[in-house]
Amino acid sequence: MFREPSTLRLAHALRRVAPALVLLAALAACSSSGGPATAVNPVTTPPSNVQNYTGPAPANADVQAFKINLWQNVIPSDRCGGCHHQGGQSPQFARSDDVNLAYQAALPLVNLINPSQSELVLKVGSGHNCWVADPSACAATMQTWIQNWIGAGSSSTTQVQLVAPPVQSAGGGKQFPADPTVGNPSYQSTVYPLLTKFCSGCHNPASASAQQPYFADPNNIDAAYIAAQPKINLATPNESRFYVRLATEFHHCWPTPTSNGAPDCAGSSAAMLAAITAFANGIPVTPIDPSLVVSNAVTLTQGTIASGGSRYEANLVAKYMFETGQGGTAYDTSGVTPEADLTLSGNVSWVGGWGIAIGAGGSAQASTSASQKLAAMIQSSGEYSIEAWAAPADVTQTNAWIVSYSGSNTTRNVTLGQSATQYEGLTRSSVTDTNGMPPMLTTTTGGAAQAALQHVVLTYDPVNGQKLYVNGADTGAVDPSKGGTFANWDSTFALVLGNETTGQRQWQGVIKFVAIHNRALTLAQVQQNFAAGVGQKYYLLFGVDGLSGVSQSYILFQASQYDNYSYLFYQPKFISLDPNATIPANLQVSGLRLGVNGVLAPAGQAFATMNVTVGGSNYSATNGQLLSSLGTVIPVELGPANDLFFLSFDQFGSHTHTYVEPPVTVTPPTPNNTPQPDFGVATFERVNDSLSRITGVATTDPVVSALYNSSQQAMPATPLISAFLSSQQTAVSELANSYCGELLASPALRDAFFGSGLDASLNASAATFFAGSLSPNRMIVINALLTNAVGTNGGSYVNPDSATAVQSEVDALLTRIPTLAPAATVSQATVAACTAVLGSAVVTLQ
Amino acid sequence: MNVSNTGTGSGGAPRAAIAACALLIAQLAAPAFAGPNEQAKRIYERIAGVPPSAAVLQQMASAISAQPGQAGLLAAATIATSASTFYDVTLKNFVTPWTNRNQTVFAPLNDYTATVIGMVRDDVPFNTALSADILYTSNASGLPSPSPANDDHYAAAEANGVDLMSTLVQGTQSGVYGTPAAATAGLITTRGAASAFFLNGTNRAMFRFTMINHFCADMPLLMDTTRPADRIRQDVARSPGGDSRIFLNNCVGCHSGMDPMVQAFAYYNFDATSGQMLYTPGQVQPKYLINATNFPFGFVTPDDSWSNRWRVGVNSVLGWDATLPGSGNGAKSLGAELGATDAFAQCQVVKVFQAVCFRAPVSSADLATVATIKASFKSGGYKLKQVFQQAAAACPGQ
Repeated sequence: MFREPSTLRLAHALRRVAPALVLLAALAACSSSGGPATAVNPVTTPPSNVQNYTGPAPANADVQAFKINLWQNVIPSDRCGGCHHQGGQSPQFARSDDVNLAYQAALPLVNLINPSQSELVLKVGSGHNCWVADPSACAATMQTWIQNWIGAGSSSTTQVQLVAPPVQSAGGGKQFPADPTVGNPSYQSTVYPLLTKFCSGCHNPASASAQQPYFADPNNIDAAYIAAQPKINLATPNESRFYVRLATEFHHCWPTPTSNGAPDCAGSSAAMLAAITAFANGIPVTPIDPSLVVSNAVTLTQGTIASGGSRYEANLVAKYMFETGQGGTAYDTSGVTPEADLTLSGNVSWVGGWGIAIGAGGSAQASTSASQKLAAMIQSSGEYSIEAWAAPADVTQTNAWIVSYSGSNTTRNVTLGQSATQYEGLTRSSVTDTNGMPPMLTTTTGGAAQAALQHVVLTYDPVNGQKLYVNGADTGAVDPSKGGTFANWDSTFALVLGNETTGQRQWQGVIKFVAIHNRALTLAQVQQNFAAGVGQKYYLLFGVDGLSGVSQSYILFQASQYDNYSYLFYQPKFISLDPNATIPANLQVSGLRLGVNGVLAPAGQAFATMNVTVGGSNYSATNGQLLSSLGTVIPVELGPANDLFFLSFDQFGSHTHTYVEPPVTVTPPTPNNTPQPDFGVATFERVNDSLSRITGVATTDPVVSALYNSSQQAMPATPLISAFLSSQQTAVSELANSYCGELLASPALRDAFFGSGLDASLNASAATFFAGSLSPNRMIVINALLTNAVGTNGGSYVNPDSATAVQSEVDALLTRIPTLAPAATVSQATVAACTAVLGSAVVTLQ
Repeated sequence: MNVSNTGTGSGGAPRAAIAACALLIAQLAAPAFAGPNEQAKRIYERIAGVPPSAAVLQQMASAISAQPGQAGLLAAATIATSASTFYDVTLKNFVTPWTNRNQTVFAPLNDYTATVIGMVRDDVPFNTALSADILYTSNASGLPSPSPANDDHYAAAEANGVDLMSTLVQGTQSGVYGTPAAATAGLITTRGAASAFFLNGTNRAMFRFTMINHFCADMPLLMDTTRPADRIRQDVARSPGGDSRIFLNNCVGCHSGMDPMVQAFAYYNFDATSGQMLYTPGQVQPKYLINATNFPFGFVTPDDSWSNRWRVGVNSVLGWDATLPGSGNGAKSLGAELGATDAFAQCQVVKVFQAVCFRAPVSSADLATVATIKASFKSGGYKLKQVFQQAAAACPGQ
């Protein structure tokens, strides 16, 4: 998939120019005519002066495409037209007098193969007269305009130029100490004092103008330390953002003693550099294990950017890529004016690798005026698509709006939301109410919403109504209200992410991309955008010349920052940038492990079991050889600018290394000699069978089995005496009572148990029959219970203490019964005595 | 004579009786004295669950008196294990919680439980419990025929109070259910286990509950984040909720070892509609491939080959059998791999000890006892009945 035939010509042509350069077409080919004039024009609101253009007509279709997509956007005086106009600064690509001349001037500034590398994009991206606060937003917008011009909206032109990185050995690196107060000198005593003194006015959560990241929080050094680490380059202190921000970007420099109260960027940056240098110098280098078989090293940002140019964006209304990474604004880089920039408020933080994390109380909202373009452009087309790359924080949140264009909890134009494992769409139209009800929901069984990064697209067209696509697949959800129009949309609503405008429909999670189109994307277009992925991706080349013996040979990884805490590495290839290289046959590559800053990553090594023979028919000079289709995530250590990656191998050709597993520490169980109860309670079925065994009443007896089946779960389920409850005793006693009742009711069982001494007196008065403590009549009952329940062996009771206790208790019970129930009969009193013993610890304690 | 109402009467006498029960509990909840009679009664009750008859008590007490020390106690325990309630009550309640996800003892008898009971009765080597082609059914009259589609046979046996000790008959899953012999894996492929752990989900439940029930360890106790992550399937999000620390510190710890072994069950599923376990040789069940877009670069299951990554790392302490290859295809070989571990034997002994002694073996003396019983369990043919006897003899009362 790396190269398609029509790109071969380009690749070979360029290879002649730059032998060390290999062109790889990442996606589809560019137009065979070489003239990019087939793009579908985006529906935009052109700047007003375009309508006043009176110069020569565009000479051809390509100039016309240039005019509509790029020229009209750059000629305003607050953009490039302020300088690069006719008679102004060269190149005059923003001249307004003659679009054909402007076209000629613009051509050298545009990279048709890789728009992201266009001079125009790089220039504004470096901060050159960017018309918004964030140069990356200008770069993204400029790239969009160029892509629209050259036709990226309908077909991809993206190719990847692999450029050999600088040769760096995989030496050891420095790791941030875990504790900011530890070190010689420590972070606490070097950088932190400067930050808390001069930066805490904004980069402090307690500040009235709080701005993330909170590296200057004076009240929480641990949190501040974590936030500061990405801004500090331990290997090269003068590349630290803290220093660069002061030294070359003049960001809030502070006065120094020699500056007479004026901001002194030279002085303040020098102080910062000195502090960082002192901190870094105090951290020892972690040496790399010399026995490892390693590749050269590379940082993420030294990789070749794999720009995502294959998205279908012909009908953009708004687009958010969240590249800025700091501040309180997420820029709309659709290139469609007016920009509906989002203001981040509440609990929203930036996510590495482009994105924002929305927590409880957070949202990102555009102004109502800027949001009006959504209503205007979508009402005119009668269709829309809301596209988001989002990772829900969980799958329990409901009534959680991911993207909403609405006015209140009960009024909206359109909302894409999450309801537990379902996604839902609410669209106001002529066939719904003003709240977009009834909603369209994906099925509960489908479990469309997962707590993972997902590509979610909600589309609407009059025929199908709403449709929901997740990760490139139609969820099959059917809109209950199709066929509507948007005439009743309210243009005073605001676009908001992660919440309702009222703040009462919180959604929590990470949003890495949002685009709004005024057409319903087709399944193919949705799949195209899903395949394009999200975030900044790189091709990393790990030099392995010394291992393979092949000139300019590399292990090529695709990589990106996956989230704030990890990098994604996937699909490694072996490739040589030398087209004439010869790959030796049967070059064995096995046990690939990723390392960071001199240390192998402790977790997530997905290629450790890899064992591949490189060369032969599996290798091609253009595509190399895929080593594994897998991917993995590796933890962030120092941040994407500083983390130095390398690869180690168990075997690479003749170079071998035996990987040593981390030592295993076996801790034997620590004895706990605290005495434990030596006895337990009979569990439910033991009680039942014990009572049956003692009385002779079968467990299948209808009376007892009915009671047992209904009450068994009320009896003990575990023998643990500490878990025994009074309610369980009650249930046991009830069952014992039932068994004793059945025992007395059966002449045969009764006589077997008590002998025949009770038979003639069952309905007699208990008071009379059982008169006298330990009387002969009482002893009939007592002895029977002792024999059967306590048990005897050789004429003596198994447990004499139990026997004594039972005799005493039963005798006392028979004494009390006449006072409690004067009319009690012998059989009733006997059942009572039987229940007292059979439901007692004599039976239930084991 | 009319006493039919006395059993459930609501008069003052029965209420007084219930109150008296509680009083007796208080009086008797003291350590038993350890004469031969008391020891015999306790051993019998711990093993058989019910009080002994006078004759059996006498027989056991005599055995204890005849041989001092463990030999006499063991002889008495051997008598106790011939009681039918040892099978119908003690073993049934011992095994039932292993057979359902709620781990409840209040579940009907099924083929999983019956098979364990039969294996114990017949001294079938228990290390084959997760791999053998074995199934026990009852030959009692009046029962529905055993069926791969329901548990009626066993439920009826329980409802009818069938004596399992005398009526269980050893058979094979391949013979009774028609499961291919190569697809049988002892308790894992019983209908009871399949209906609980192959139902829905991703089949990881079968592995997790096998660990809980036969290794006495739930997954958090088995975490090892250092294992290669290459076999973790696509459905495991690498950045759950946008935070990959969760994956790198937690998820990977279990999935890196579990997923390569759960692959052994790739051809199994439980179809709730037909009520039967499905086995599709050569065809990976769709449940192994669900939610593939959670992490497209995850592992795609091609077959039922499994690999044990826990032979190295912290889980090497589970005591894997060095004579086995540590990899293979299908549930049967995985079951053999698990059954041959020291942890499997240890877990069986610990479970029995707790069931018989009513306490966890945590004291120095109890740990030593467990080690001794485990050694003889492993060297003596993995007879679980013997473990019950030895455990009961080890805690006969003070």
